[in-house]
Amino acid sequence: MILRRFLILLCALLLAGPAAAHSLRVFAKVEGGQVSGYGFFIGGGRPQGVDWLAQMGAETIAKGQTDARGSFGFPAPATVTADVVVTVNTGEGHVASTTLKPERFGGAPMPGSAVTEPAAMPDGTGAALTRAEVEAAVAAQVAPLMERIEQMDARMRLTDVLSGVFLILGLAGMALWARGRRG
Amino acid sequence: MAHIPDGILSLPVLIGGGALAAVGVGLGLRALDDRAIPRVALLAAVFFAASLVSIPVGPSSVHLLLSGLMGLLLGMGVFPAVLVALALQAVLFGFGGLTTLGVNTVNIALPGAMAGLVLGPVIRRQVRPVVAGALAGIGSALAVLATGGAVALSLWLSSSDYVPVARVLLATYLPLALAEAVVAAVVVGFLARVEPGALRPVAAAGA
Repeated sequence: MILRRFLILLCALLLAGPAAAHSLRVFAKVEGGQVSGYGFFIGGGRPQGVDWLAQMGAETIAKGQTDARGSFGFPAPATVTADVVVTVNTGEGHVASTTLKPERFGGAPMPGSAVTEPAAMPDGTGAALTRAEVEAAVAAQVAPLMERIEQMDARMRLTDVLSGVFLILGLAGMALWARGRRG
Repeated sequence: MAHIPDGILSLPVLIGGGALAAVGVGLGLRALDDRAIPRVALLAAVFFAASLVSIPVGPSSVHLLLSGLMGLLLGMGVFPAVLVALALQAVLFGFGGLTTLGVNTVNIALPGAMAGLVLGPVIRRQVRPVVAGALAGIGSALAVLATGGAVALSLWLSSSDYVPVARVLLATYLPLALAEAVVAAVVVGFLARVEPGALRPVAAAGA
């Protein structure tokens, strides 16, 4: 009877489970020479008023405190020599960071880059686009996608929760079977 | 919070935590019998699911640990229960880490086991379920605070960079300790009323 009550409790928790989870993640994007982003807890909640730190290699390039939406922002460094790592530390054991590769900052010519020369519009209006303009436009278009991917990546799935629970119950079954064989 | 990720703790802390966890799990596994296995598994499953549900509190977010309750019901069996659940959370969701598994297990299971060892006999002697529940609540709250202290200690021993701020720690762990106390008090009070035998980690002789 007690076991049944625990199973009911377990089911209730499972129903609530996928709605929220517990882990800190950091999202950052580069747009128009500005790095911005936010920390978020999987399942909801933002780390408000906590320390963040941006480092390029070993050098600290910016730091501050997140605002009420858990956001941070700083100007992108003029020359990016190494990965830029943004770390958010809530001050009670939650620490998370995200890495922005140098490619994300554009500017420096990349091997095999398609847009190297100002190109005329196909309709012949003659409006020339510089590389920087193209990159800014693409970054603006891609930013919501990056954000969505980060969120999907950090989502908990009911199937995962269920597989965890049944794995535990399966382990118990195996342990009982092993004991039964031995005894 | 109690799930310290990879790459933050120093090697001695990781090894020390791993060794302590191995001892605890060994003791817990030795105590496992036919009655204990389903109990450990059920509570491990409850812990696994319950500690995935988190609520934003101030700058952070918290989730139930249920370690005091597990310590009362499982005794040393809390170690294998927590280890299995944490391992699955690390593998399936990336909460915590695989290298920190030992440290995280000790941080959560040890306070629970202590609460069970110290308060368990007193609680089982209580005639009134309300008193038993209240004692369990106090034990659970203390276990949560001890977990907070253990997490802070692990970080402090590793490096000075990530030492938790006492004010933030209190702000997040106090509400959690209260919530945890309520849950443990309700569950233990209920068990004491309907099935006092369930509060014993080991079946009483002759029962």
